[in-house]
Amino acid sequence: MSVPITFGELLDRHEREILAYALRMTGDRDDADDVYQETFLAAFRSWPPPRRGSERAWLYRIATNKVIDASRKRKRLVRMADLQLAAPDRDGVTMADLAAAVRALPAGQRAAFVLRRVEGLEYTEVALILECSEEAARARVSEATKKVREAMK
Amino acid sequence: MISVMTDARERLLTRARREGLEAVGYRVVDSPLGPLWVAVGPRGVVAVTYGGEPDARDLARIVRAYGPGVLPDARRVDPVARELDQYFAGRRRVFDVAVDLTPLTPFQRRVLSATARVPYGDLVTYAEIARRAGNDKASRATGGAVGANPIPIVVPCHRVVATDGTLGGYSGGLDNKRRLLQLERGAVPAGGWPKSRS
Repeated sequence: MSVPITFGELLDRHEREILAYALRMTGDRDDADDVYQETFLAAFRSWPPPRRGSERAWLYRIATNKVIDASRKRKRLVRMADLQLAAPDRDGVTMADLAAAVRALPAGQRAAFVLRRVEGLEYTEVALILECSEEAARARVSEATKKVREAMK
Repeated sequence: MISVMTDARERLLTRARREGLEAVGYRVVDSPLGPLWVAVGPRGVVAVTYGGEPDARDLARIVRAYGPGVLPDARRVDPVARELDQYFAGRRRVFDVAVDLTPLTPFQRRVLSATARVPYGDLVTYAEIARRAGNDKASRATGGAVGANPIPIVVPCHRVVATDGTLGGYSGGLDNKRRLLQLERGAVPAGGWPKSRS
C-alpha cells in the first residue's frame, strides 16, 4: 500500500485500530476517545511520518505516549463493557480479573503486552512503537505475561 | 464500535478544523452517475471524481497546492452537493459554486477555463477549445487537458466532442458522457452527435 499523503488517508487507514488500541489500553471510552483524538491531532501537527511506510508504528507510538500521559494524570476504574474488547478469552478467568491484572501493569509493560498479546503485532513492530530494542520488547512482554499469570492464580 | 468510531471521528474533525489543520474538505456525494468524491479547497471546488474514491494524481496535485490537510468535511461540500442534485434533477443549468484550478498548470487552466464557459446543452470541438484557449495548434494537448479535467460535470468537459462529430473520450466513461448530454440535450445518437455546431 502506498504511503498516505493526506490526513484523511491516514485516518481512513488507521483510526479503527488506534481507537481499539486506546480502548484496550485505557479501559474507558472517554479516555480512549481522548487518546484517539490527541494521537491524530499530534500526528497532523507533526506531519509527515518520520520514515516512509512507518506511519502505523508512528501512530501507535504517539498513542502509547498519550496513554502514559493520561494514566499519569489519573487512575480510573475499568468498565466491563469496554473490556470485552480488550481481554483474550481464557477459561476460569473473568474478564474483570484479567483486565484488572493488565491495568495493574506499569504503562510500558502494559503497552508491550497489549500490542503483542492482544493486537498480535510482531516484536519488531512492538519495538518500533515503544522505541526500544526487540530484546527489550520481548523482555517487557515476558515480564508482563508473568505478572498477569501471577495475578490470575 | 461503529457509533463510538463515528462520534470520536466527528469530535476529532471538529478540533482539527478549529486548529486550522484542514485545508481541503471532502465527502462522497451520491448521484445518478454513481458516487462522486467531491473536494473543496480555500478557493472553491478542487475535485469531482467518479467512483467515489479520489484519483491519486488529483490528490497529489491538491497536496502540492494546499498541503496534506485534506480531511472529511460533509458541511463544506454541501453547497456543491446541492447544486449537483439540482443539476441532475434538471433544475440547474449553471453552477454557482467557485471552481479552483490553481493546482493545475497554466496550460490546463486556460483549457479548462475555456471549457467552463461552454453553455449548458452546447457542444464544442476539442479544436475549438484549443482556439479559445489560445492554442490553435495544440489540439491534441488540449484533448489531453480536457480529458484530465479534475472537476468534471461542474467544469463541463462532457460538452467537448471530437471534430468528426462523435463523442470523443471521457474520463468518467462514455456512458456517463452520453447520459450528461442526454440530460442537457435529449437523446444522443448511437455513434455520437452529428457534426458539431462550432
